Amino acid sequence: MKIKLNSAILVLPMLGMLGFVVVVARAQQNASGHASDFTSVEYYEPPHHQQVKSRLSGAEASPQPGGLLVIKQLKVETFDLNGKPEIVVDAPECVYDTLKGVATSSGQLQVRTGDGGFRVEGEGFLWRQSDSFLTISNHVRTVIEVSSEKKI
Amino acid sequence: MKFICLIALIALAGVWTSRAQTNTNAVDEILALVTTNTPVPKPQPPRQPTRIESDSVDFDLTAHRAIYHGHVRVDDPEMKLNCEWLTADLPQEGGRINHIVADTNVVGDFTDEKGQTMHATGDKAVYVYEVQNGVTNETVTLTGNPELENAQGKSTGDVIVWDRARNHLDITNPKIVFHQNINGATAETNAPLTVTNKLTAPN
Repeated sequence: MKIKLNSAILVLPMLGMLGFVVVVARAQQNASGHASDFTSVEYYEPPHHQQVKSRLSGAEASPQPGGLLVIKQLKVETFDLNGKPEIVVDAPECVYDTLKGVATSSGQLQVRTGDGGFRVEGEGFLWRQSDSFLTISNHVRTVIEVSSEKKI
Repeated sequence: MKFICLIALIALAGVWTSRAQTNTNAVDEILALVTTNTPVPKPQPPRQPTRIESDSVDFDLTAHRAIYHGHVRVDDPEMKLNCEWLTADLPQEGGRINHIVADTNVVGDFTDEKGQTMHATGDKAVYVYEVQNGVTNETVTLTGNPELENAQGKSTGDVIVWDRARNHLDITNPKIVFHQNINGATAETNAPLTVTNKLTAPN
């Protein structure tokens, strides 16, 4: 399994926990261990190893005690085998537990399908990487839009 | 003088061009009428989105399923629904939700294409939409003290299956109370009523 890596030492443990096995990262890392403007990509298993499975990006990642990372402007995108976007997740800020593989936040979260037909937003969330399980805790609002000939 | 003539010429040219364009459009319209008798279908207005609000939600992205909890409210052009739990299979791209389970204190108001309303209550409602061999099946199954009420009357039973595709009701162990109009007669219904343990009638 090949790893393409620029200066993203900080991001690597987190990505490992996130399951981002193959990493393409462009990050600026300073002496305090902060990383900014990073992107990481996970590819499908062979024979589709050329296809991007998911992409995680953030404006800033700050390490905290206990294996925690504070990530700002988090964006997670998943893609199907044809490269079409499936799910896009946006959160202004979250705390990622690299030991448990869990991201949490009391702030806003937005989730939408690649075609934008299914959109959800709410406040407070928990994202469990191991089984791709997302809980939004408060004030959940969903909008589902389909073309006129495909009604709900 | 030359300047005035030039302006007049430009104006004339403009009118002629405009008429020529109009005539072209008219010819196109006539040709369209001659070549086909099929009326041009009017574009359908965009459908209003479906909105779901709740206290919280769980997404199982592996199973493509959403489970809404607490004060769930569904606002759809054809349906208003309240319940405590709602599970929906997430649609594929460009697709529609084809399986919904609403649980606990289910209260729904449905509106059909003619604008007629149906009020439904029950402990549980299961919505299923599927297309098999070109045939559309769309049902709402109510259980747990289910009740359906519309302008004609109120229906209760053990299980009420509302076939939305065929506009049909299938009620197990039915009890039906017809609303009376002001003349004292029962409201009209197209349903041939049969007293059996299982009633099938168009709604």
